[in-house]
Amino acid sequence: MKKKLDVEKMTYAVLAIACFFIFWWFITTFTPAKETTPGPVEVIQLLFTSFFEPIGSHVITGHLLVSLRRVLVGFSVATVLGIVLGVAMGASKWAEAIFKPIFELLRPIPPIAWISLVILFFGIGEVSKYILCGIGAFTNVTLNAYTGAQNVDPELVGCARMLGTSERDIFFRVVLPSCTPQIFAGMQVALSTSWMAVLAAEMVGAQEGCGWMIQRGSDTLNITLVMVGMIVIGCVGMLLAAVMRVIERRLCAWNIMES
Amino acid sequence: MNEYAKQKRKEKIKFGIVSVISLCLFFTIWYVCTAVLHLKPDYILPSPVQVVEAFIDKLTRTAPDGATIFGHIAASLQVALTGYLLGALVGVPLGVAMAWFRRVDMFVTPLFDLIRPVPTIAWIPLMILWFGIGLGAKAAIIFVSAFVPCVINAYAGIKQTKPVHLWVAQTFGASRKEMLFTVAIPTALPLIFTGLRISLGTAWMTLCAAEMLASNKGLGYMIQVNRSLARADLIVVAMLTIGLIGTIFTVGLNALERKFVKGGRRG
Amino acid sequence: MSDEIKVKVSHMTKKFGDLLVLNDISFDVKTGEFLCVVGPTGCGKTTFLNCLTKLKAYELTGGEILINGEPVDLQKHNIAYIFQEYSSFPWATVEENIAYGLKVKKRPPEEIKERVEEMLQLVGLTEYRSYYPGQLSASMLQRVSIARAFAVQPELLLMDEPYGQMDNSLRYKLEDELIQLWQRTGTTVIFITHNIEEAVYLSQRILVLTNKPTSIKKEIDNNLPRPRDVTDPAFNQLRDEVTDLIKWW
Repeated sequence: MKKKLDVEKMTYAVLAIACFFIFWWFITTFTPAKETTPGPVEVIQLLFTSFFEPIGSHVITGHLLVSLRRVLVGFSVATVLGIVLGVAMGASKWAEAIFKPIFELLRPIPPIAWISLVILFFGIGEVSKYILCGIGAFTNVTLNAYTGAQNVDPELVGCARMLGTSERDIFFRVVLPSCTPQIFAGMQVALSTSWMAVLAAEMVGAQEGCGWMIQRGSDTLNITLVMVGMIVIGCVGMLLAAVMRVIERRLCAWNIMES
Repeated sequence: MNEYAKQKRKEKIKFGIVSVISLCLFFTIWYVCTAVLHLKPDYILPSPVQVVEAFIDKLTRTAPDGATIFGHIAASLQVALTGYLLGALVGVPLGVAMAWFRRVDMFVTPLFDLIRPVPTIAWIPLMILWFGIGLGAKAAIIFVSAFVPCVINAYAGIKQTKPVHLWVAQTFGASRKEMLFTVAIPTALPLIFTGLRISLGTAWMTLCAAEMLASNKGLGYMIQVNRSLARADLIVVAMLTIGLIGTIFTVGLNALERKFVKGGRRG
Repeated sequence: MSDEIKVKVSHMTKKFGDLLVLNDISFDVKTGEFLCVVGPTGCGKTTFLNCLTKLKAYELTGGEILINGEPVDLQKHNIAYIFQEYSSFPWATVEENIAYGLKVKKRPPEEIKERVEEMLQLVGLTEYRSYYPGQLSASMLQRVSIARAFAVQPELLLMDEPYGQMDNSLRYKLEDELIQLWQRTGTTVIFITHNIEEAVYLSQRILVLTNKPTSIKKEIDNNLPRPRDVTDPAFNQLRDEVTDLIKWW
């Protein structure tokens, strides 16, 4: 009975996507929209050629790598800092009292709102991109690390203490591992926020990268390029999320074995 | 008050004072770095005093960016709320329908999964090209960003419905429709509210980007234009205003949720 | 208990793919009768109830189940089902939960109000009427389900090991309450349990089922006078009789 359901699901999925493409093709061939919007054929064509013919200074993979690099740098640094701050705030009342008010003051400001200030401060170079990605990631990771550390089961800690574990070991072998799932959830959101931040930063001031590519398409009224950019960006987004999930599965399995 | 409670209160006061000192220190350092040491020119990093002055100034003056702070807030709110309400009004019922009707699920979910990975910001150039610079494009962008979390959470909420609850309704003779409205939707309410909360957050965040690239008024525009005018103090005013309004939204929605989601359940 | 037949089960057979679960079972349940069904876990007791109520779209592979001489129609026949798991709606108060069945059956508001009051009193939850299930204890939760079931004055009440998860003192209390409610309303009850003492305590008739493929091992009449006493030798004799049957499940 399960097999029948899967076949049914597949059929509907294929049907839905086919309808989508037909609808798209129809609108861009037979209605006034054809003046403004490219059809699926042109988009797919450009998608293929972009792997060989450069847009601006790179082929599409080049732009991808540039954007990814920016995200990775910003994200990694921010994650480390975020985990440190978050866990500190969650584990120590002093850290919480000192840092939380400032954090809560700055947190509601969306990363994108920081763009202007960061650009004024650091210029349009790579550093400002890293920082913007970092801001995007930092808030989420910190918040999650904070709640994770706050919610460590007091029984676990008490148990370890009773068994004579040193405070330092309690921190590294009980508190930290039990925060890990929560921290990972935060990292996943943080990664997608970083990805969005880098795109925004590239659309505002850059010479390369996926965000720049889309903006270039917009500036030159090249909707096909815009759509190709969107597709690529969507795929990368999915990839990043999938990679995070794989890493989480491995790290948390390690976690279970360790503790 | 017993000993334990007294001690807890003392602790709270002690840490409260620490927090206040920390905040004061933060502002002092900021002030010192800017107004006293002039580490960076004013137009790049303003001092807190300058920010406050700019804010007061903005209460009435429309120069140099075209509107008073209220004008910008109003423009931003208009766009954000329009897009958000549309997104919620379309997203929640769609999510419910997708979770309740198997056929709808099988047909719409693949399409939804196609759109979902594209970050909202990536939609901006397309929307500008389609709708031009103005309310239409901005509202459309915000619609997309609000729509997605509403669908996802409404869907998850309905899928959470316990079969046994449906069976209770069914044995009493409830029709499919009655089961949807008296069992499934009440079950889903906490998650639906979570979706509404998240999408308001995303909507407000996307608003920034949308206004930076597709607008001539609003708080996001204010951030953008004041960069070229080298008015960092106004930029900071705008940033803090955005943060403040975002917080008000979150607090407001939390209060609404407590009122409507009965039984002490949270999504 | 009258002589009218409420539920007529004829040659009931149910297969899941190749797995034969219910094997040609036939029996009658008289109106107002309290019937207990005992059998090993997994022998298909719940499947039987699901087939009866057509929940999960269970269709019988063979045979038929008639209520009042007609095929089962959940909107026509007034059936209430108390499940093994706690099934009160967490988003509604005790009052609203109890009123639910009546609302679905579109009874007039005054009747609903009256019935809910009556039920609250009967199960002793009047002070808790505005509480939510999340705030109630286990016994109260099951009482809410029972009140909700009895509120619609069902012609047939199905109960699937409703006290399975409780300790003995609580169970005894609820069993007594159940008997009282049953005697007051004259509902026909089909009660499933694997607890033999419970079956002997509650039933007027006991249906002992076999393992899969399930069929009726024996039907035993239970004429012990009420209120029943677990220390009574006659009680224990009946209990031993049923236990012996079970030993060879």
